[in-house]
Amino acid sequence: MILNRRQFSQLSGMAVGSSAFRATGLGLEPADFTLDIAPYLVEVSPKRHYRTAAYNNQVPGPVLRMRQGHNYTVEVRNHTADPEVVHWHGLFLPSAIDGAMEEGTPMIPPGGTASYTFNPDPPGFRWFHTHTFAGKDLSKAQYGGLHGFLLIEPRGATERYDREVFLGLHDWGGHFKGSDDGYMMPVYDASTINGKTLGFGEPVRVKQGEQVLMHILNSSPTEIHWIALAGHSFHVIALDGNRITHPQTVSMLRLAPAERISAVVEMNAPGVWVLGEVRKGVQAAGMGIVIEYANATGKPVWNQPEGLVWNYSQFATKGQTAPQNGTTQIELAFDSKFQGHGNEELWRINGQSYPQSHSPLLKAGQRYRLVMKNQSMDDHPIHLHRHSFEVRRVDGSAELHGLWKDVVLLRAGSTAEVEFVADNPGKTLFHCHQQDHMDRGFMMVFTYA
Amino acid sequence: MHKIKLNLAAKAILVVAAILGGLGTAVAQGNYEIQVYGADTVAPKNLMVELHSNFTPEGQKYYVDGVLPTNHQEHETLELTEGINNWAEVGFYVFTSSQDGHGVQWVGDHIRPRVKAPDSWHLPVGLSLSTEIGYQRAVYSPDTWTWEIRPIVDKTLGRWYLAFNPALERTLHGPDVNQGLGFSPGVKVSYDFTRVVSGGLEYYADYGRLVRFDTLHNQQQQIFAVADLNVSPKWEINVGVGLGPTAATDHLIVKGIIGRRFNWGHHSAVE
Repeated sequence: MILNRRQFSQLSGMAVGSSAFRATGLGLEPADFTLDIAPYLVEVSPKRHYRTAAYNNQVPGPVLRMRQGHNYTVEVRNHTADPEVVHWHGLFLPSAIDGAMEEGTPMIPPGGTASYTFNPDPPGFRWFHTHTFAGKDLSKAQYGGLHGFLLIEPRGATERYDREVFLGLHDWGGHFKGSDDGYMMPVYDASTINGKTLGFGEPVRVKQGEQVLMHILNSSPTEIHWIALAGHSFHVIALDGNRITHPQTVSMLRLAPAERISAVVEMNAPGVWVLGEVRKGVQAAGMGIVIEYANATGKPVWNQPEGLVWNYSQFATKGQTAPQNGTTQIELAFDSKFQGHGNEELWRINGQSYPQSHSPLLKAGQRYRLVMKNQSMDDHPIHLHRHSFEVRRVDGSAELHGLWKDVVLLRAGSTAEVEFVADNPGKTLFHCHQQDHMDRGFMMVFTYA
Repeated sequence: MHKIKLNLAAKAILVVAAILGGLGTAVAQGNYEIQVYGADTVAPKNLMVELHSNFTPEGQKYYVDGVLPTNHQEHETLELTEGINNWAEVGFYVFTSSQDGHGVQWVGDHIRPRVKAPDSWHLPVGLSLSTEIGYQRAVYSPDTWTWEIRPIVDKTLGRWYLAFNPALERTLHGPDVNQGLGFSPGVKVSYDFTRVVSGGLEYYADYGRLVRFDTLHNQQQQIFAVADLNVSPKWEINVGVGLGPTAATDHLIVKGIIGRRFNWGHHSAVE
C-alpha cells in the first residue's frame, strides 16, 4: 500500500498511543517553560478574525529565552482535538524530540502532555512551530497560529542592545487559487506582523539614539516577504540565527518561509514610521507595524521602494576555499508531477514523493555537499532539520563560505549547493518549508548508517 | 446506410446534450464566437486579444428571410478584452464573414462588460456575470440589435473542468423584438490529459423563448468535441468540431480560438 503523508501521520499517531509519549519526552524534571496548545481566535484587525490554535493564547507564541550550555525542560499540553508536535527549528536535537513525526518524534495526542528536555544549541535566533499536516484545510498546521520565538543566548558575555524586538510575519485566510503556471496555490486574505494588521496592533516604541536589535521571523506557511523600515536601514548581523562573516547594511530584507534575520537598526530619524512589506498589495493586506519614537506624533510615514533587492552572497566570503577532502556529493533534483489544473502538483525529490522517497544514508563525521537542482517553476525554501549547513553556491553565485543557515531559498530553475557535516546521528528530515509542498510529498529523511 | 449512421450519431449527441442540459445550461452565440465562458476575468492592465475562426462546412444553403446562407461561411471575430480591476473587464467584438460571391463583410460589433465575484468571497465555484449588447447587419441576422445577460459558473475539480453559462437573450430591434427573453445555455466539460492538453465537450443551444421553448425541431443544438492547449499563461488556444443535429442548426462547424494576453503599463515587482 502506498501511503500519503496524511495516512502516514495517522498511522504514526496510532503507533505512539496516548500513554507512550511522556516516556519519550526524556524529561521528568520540573518544567522551565510551559506551552499550552489550545484553540484561539486571532483578531488580526477589527473586521478580521481567524479560528486557529495558539501557544499560551497568543499569536505569535511566547518568546522562549534559553542560554547555551544549560538544560531546559518544556512541558507542552495539547488541549486541541488534533494530535500535535512541536518542532524546535534550528536546534541540534535528538530525533526523538526534534519535533517531526517523520524522524520518530511522537505526536502529542489530544488532551496529552509531553515534556521536551534539551541542552539548546547552537546559540542564536531559533523558533518553534507545529509540524503537522494541513492538506486542503488552510487553517491547520503552519497556516494557523502555532509558532513562537526561541532565542538561545550564547555562553559567556553577550552583546547588549538598547532594545530587542521580535517580529513575526504571517499570512492568514488562505484559500487555493489557480496560478499562472496552471496549478493551484494558496492565496491569503490578510498578512500580519505579530498577529496584527498595520495600524491595529501596538506600535513598537523607541527612543532616538537607541540601537534596536530586530529579530524577524517569517512564519508564513508559503509566502516570501520583503520588509523595509521607512527612513531607516538594517544592519544585518545574523541569518537564521547564525552570525555572518560580512555584516551588511541594507535597505530591505527578504525572508522566505522559516527564515530569520537579526538586524540592528540605529534609531536616528525621529518620527512615526511604517515597517512593512515592500510589495504594495501585501502591505495593503496588513503586513506592517508602526515604529514610533518617543514624543513623536503624526501619521505613520511609508517611503515606497521601487524594487525588490536581496542577495545572499553579500553576507558571505566569496572565492574558492581549500577543497575539503572527502566531501561526499549528494545530487537532489526537485520537480513536480501534474495532477490536474484543479489540484496541487505532487512534489518529488529525485523522482519520488514522500513517503515513497528513498533515504540517503549518512556516515557520522562525514562532510556532505547537497547539490540541489530546482527543475520546477516554483521557489522552494529548503530546510534541513537538526543540522546547520553552509551555503556554498546560490542564485548563480561563485563559491561562497561563511554563510551558515538552516533554510535556503532555491529559486525556480536554479541550482544551489550547501555543505554540512553529519555530526548528529538520527533520522534527519529534509524538506521544502512551504506547507503545501511538504504536504504534497516534498520531503526526504536522511538516515545515519 | 450513411443516413442511418448519421441518425444514430444524432441521437447519441442528443442524449449527451440532454444529460448536459440537465446540469443547467447556456447560450446561443451565433457562429461568430463559439465559446463557453470561464468565470475568471482578465487581470487589470492586461489586454486579451482573441481571434475566433469558425467555418461552416455544412450549413444553411438557402436565403431565409433575407439572411445569407451560412453554408461555407467563414467567420472571423476579433475580441479585445481589457481588465479593469480584479473583478471587472470589458470586451469588444468585431464580427466579420467571408463567403464565395460576397467577399469579406463586416457583420457587426458588440460590447461586453463583465464582473466576477471577488476571491475574498471564497465561493466554492467561480462566478461572474456578463452582459453583451450590440448590432449586427440584417443580412446576417434579422434581429439587428440584441442584448444578452450571461451568468457564468465554473469549477475545477482535479483534472476536470466544468462551466455552465445559462444565458438569456433579448432582441432590441428586429422581428423578434416582442418575443421576450430567449434561453441559450452553454456547457463545457473537459479533462486535463496532460498539463498542456485538455479535451472535452462543449454544448450550445438556443431553446427559444424562456416561457415557451421552441419544438426540438426548431431549437438550435450544437455539440463540439474540443481541445484546449495550455502552452503558456500568455496564450489561449481552443479548437473543436461541432455537430448540429436539429433542422434549425448548422450541421457541421469547425472552430478555433487563439488568444494572446498582453501586459501594458509599468509593472514593478512591488506592484
